[in-house]
Amino acid sequence: MLRACIAAVVLAAGLASPAHAYEFWLRAQTIGQVYQLRDYRLIGPDLFLGRRRYTQTLALRIWDVGDLAAARRESHLPERGLRISWQSYLRIDHDFGTYSSGRVTIPLSVSVKRDALDVTPELGESVASLELLYGYLELTGLFDDRLTVQVGRVLADDGWGTSGVDGAAAQLAVPNTPLTVSALAGLAVRASSPLGLSAYELDGTSGAACQELVEGPTPGSGTWKLIDRNRQISNNRLTSDFELCPQRDVLQPTVGVALATRAIHGVAAELGYRRTWSSTAGVIGPVDRLMYPDLGLYPGLAPGSGVDEERLWARVHAALRAGELAIAPYADVRYSLLHAAVDRADAGVRLERGKHSLEPSVEYFLPTFDGDSIFNVFSIEPTTDLRLAYQRAGALAVRASGWLRAYHHEDGLASRAGGADAGVERVFSPRWRGRVDALWDDGYGGRRIGGSAEAGWRPARTLWLRGRLITLAVARDDGGTGTAARPRYVTSSAVVSSTWRLSDGVALHSILELDDDATHLQYRAIGMFDFAFAPEP
Amino acid sequence: MRSPRSPRAPRAIVLGLVVASVLAVVSAGLAAPDPTAWSPVIYPMQRLPLIFSHAQHLARGTPCAACHAAATSSRSAVDNLLPTEAACLPCHPIDRAQPELVVAGAPPVACRACHPGYAPDVPVARVYLTPPPLKFDHSAHRAAPCETCHGDLRSVGLATTQHLPTMATCLRCHTSGGEVRHCADCHLAKLGGLIETAFDHGALVPSHGGLGDAHGPDFKNHHTQEARQRDATCGACHDRSECVACHQGVVKPMEFHPGDYVRTHAVEAKRGKPDCSACHRAQSFCVGCHERSGLGTRGETEFRAGDPSRAFHPAGWATEGVGPNRHALEARRNIASCASCHREDECLACHSAQPGGPRASPHPAGWRGSARCKALDRGNRRMCTRCHIVQDELGCDWSAR
Repeated sequence: MLRACIAAVVLAAGLASPAHAYEFWLRAQTIGQVYQLRDYRLIGPDLFLGRRRYTQTLALRIWDVGDLAAARRESHLPERGLRISWQSYLRIDHDFGTYSSGRVTIPLSVSVKRDALDVTPELGESVASLELLYGYLELTGLFDDRLTVQVGRVLADDGWGTSGVDGAAAQLAVPNTPLTVSALAGLAVRASSPLGLSAYELDGTSGAACQELVEGPTPGSGTWKLIDRNRQISNNRLTSDFELCPQRDVLQPTVGVALATRAIHGVAAELGYRRTWSSTAGVIGPVDRLMYPDLGLYPGLAPGSGVDEERLWARVHAALRAGELAIAPYADVRYSLLHAAVDRADAGVRLERGKHSLEPSVEYFLPTFDGDSIFNVFSIEPTTDLRLAYQRAGALAVRASGWLRAYHHEDGLASRAGGADAGVERVFSPRWRGRVDALWDDGYGGRRIGGSAEAGWRPARTLWLRGRLITLAVARDDGGTGTAARPRYVTSSAVVSSTWRLSDGVALHSILELDDDATHLQYRAIGMFDFAFAPEP
Repeated sequence: MRSPRSPRAPRAIVLGLVVASVLAVVSAGLAAPDPTAWSPVIYPMQRLPLIFSHAQHLARGTPCAACHAAATSSRSAVDNLLPTEAACLPCHPIDRAQPELVVAGAPPVACRACHPGYAPDVPVARVYLTPPPLKFDHSAHRAAPCETCHGDLRSVGLATTQHLPTMATCLRCHTSGGEVRHCADCHLAKLGGLIETAFDHGALVPSHGGLGDAHGPDFKNHHTQEARQRDATCGACHDRSECVACHQGVVKPMEFHPGDYVRTHAVEAKRGKPDCSACHRAQSFCVGCHERSGLGTRGETEFRAGDPSRAFHPAGWATEGVGPNRHALEARRNIASCASCHREDECLACHSAQPGGPRASPHPAGWRGSARCKALDRGNRRMCTRCHIVQDELGCDWSAR
């Protein structure tokens, strides 16, 4: 047997082809954070919950697998033809602190202590996670540089948000037209996906199906109950022992298609469509009329599947010029077919002349949620914002903006909110820079006024130091909603940070923060090793 | 726990500090010169200790190639295309042994005619000109007249970086519509295919060159439209991980959420400005933190719904009706604020059509038969069953409501 193994190894070594060393780009960050969050108390001082977080990230790009474009690259010619690459971003995050691993008291008739994670399953994303935010193999330059294909965990973006899809995406430049067609298909990335994360999930599903229907004596007389609330506690430290939500674990097929302009001077536009759906968890078989209650929905009461998201979007951006004046109008709109409503829209124009730019814009927003969320059928009022922004580029950089929001109330109770903020940044020398900012806003939500001052100093080629002072006076307009929530207060903060470049591409960042309001003092310290450090401009 | 302080004194101090800081920065800025429009990263500092007049040479009809002979065949931006002394010799009979030589009828030949401050025993100041970090093929552009990129030099003495093309110059031709732009066609790429932006003499940052990707002040916090463009060039320099590291991040970005943001975020969250959903998912991120910090409803909390002295919301908050102290108004205006603490089962305690409950309808006026009702019913009826168990109540045309 041993001889056979040795012979196999020798044979394999003999047949092995030469190894290839591919170009790759890697960025790894190791982040340690130690800080506290308040656990509010009405009587006596607040308690503090410790967070001791360790985060490791790894961004990887392997370029030109197979050296297919090496000849052109070495000749400094523009890249053409088939190129194969891999891009991924992996993250490990773990909290050792009491915030996620502590215990809380449930105020039942007889108080009981349970793991915080069991009481608040949402903490699951903080306790321990291994997430692949994206990771795909990309083939570009196919069909005479017209087709690009991505396979793996790809990202989908409609202009207002990014989500992940486990599947494939393709982009084809249509011959003899200035158009590009994109298509996407796969399974939406959920928290329950392998190496999944909740951040990509549609909002509004947290409690969508954590209950099940317990059949009553006749169809239509059942009641919804929490699932398995009293089952055996396994005391798993990394997941909730008390919550079971089958609907959150079902697969969500997703398809999308988009038509966009390509290489039209001065204009870029896109029209897109995306649909995500899922099968219904908990549909029972025929009504059996057993003496024990059935659990689930009767046939016909709920469909076999439901749409979670179905949207159309369009966006157009232009770049025009009138003499020295650059004019960049834009308009974006998103329509939810599931809600039969426009949920996002904006339009504006950026006017630039030299270093100065002015941008008036208007934005509309109607909150929408995942198709399983009951919030979708609630009375929800949209808002419209008017905005005006000014910027001056250069060594003396200036920005200022103002905004006014109108809430469209169906009951006629109008309300407004508005505000303004401005900032000035000055680069004094390659070693020194300074910046001040101020803001004021008022109206629905509360009033704030404050500002910040910041200075950056580079005393040596390998050392950067920064300091920042922030003060904000806050007057919330919900002062009546609780004695712990003081309606007016001033909060100040001082932040000192440093970056020490240990060697080329490796740096140690440190941040010390001191927060102080009328009654509390809080420190925060963060240390971070950066293995792909590049100095900021 | 210290006693609360009056907010007036700190506010005055803060206001004074802010005003003084603004004045200091602005006055310093006005006193200092602005940088040129030419990128100091593409065209770094140069030193040209020469006396030369393009105007005089062009006026005599001297073609560009007479001095810059290598320009028509150069294929790299690293090539030195400045004429050397050998290029001057055919017209200027320079004699290094006679630095003060004057030749009657001939153009200047004395050393000091071109080298300012020339002295016999002092080394001649060297020309210092760093090649731009670009890929450029002069030979591929030889069909175009030189002035297309370098401008009209007929009134120019010594040419400087101001007479080298900017990116806007390139885009005058290279956006004709028939070609796809690849940033790496001109800019240097590093391992992994991204554009190299970090140089010893500075970082390469998009300016107002015409691609709509200029990184203006506070670009980190305000880049929505630049990123939303269909032809956004972000991916040329930035790895996607930079986007998701912040938008789906686990570290609080100090520039975006400064200072004691945990305490002050309520105003912004209630107003929805900035858009919290750009980075946070309310029903996991917000709910988890609110529950754990004692503001929720599930665990031990100081708040008691039935005890007015320990209520988070004012008395009568959950009762029917519209007004500033009723939850209906808040829920309509910003339901995301409700969703940051409450799960759906809590809403369903009242807002359900199940028998025995309050059967409080959360639907807007005119819901029955509305396009929104029909679309939601058609798209995902299982959501409707959360409240409407009776088959007859499903759909948007039933009349019992």
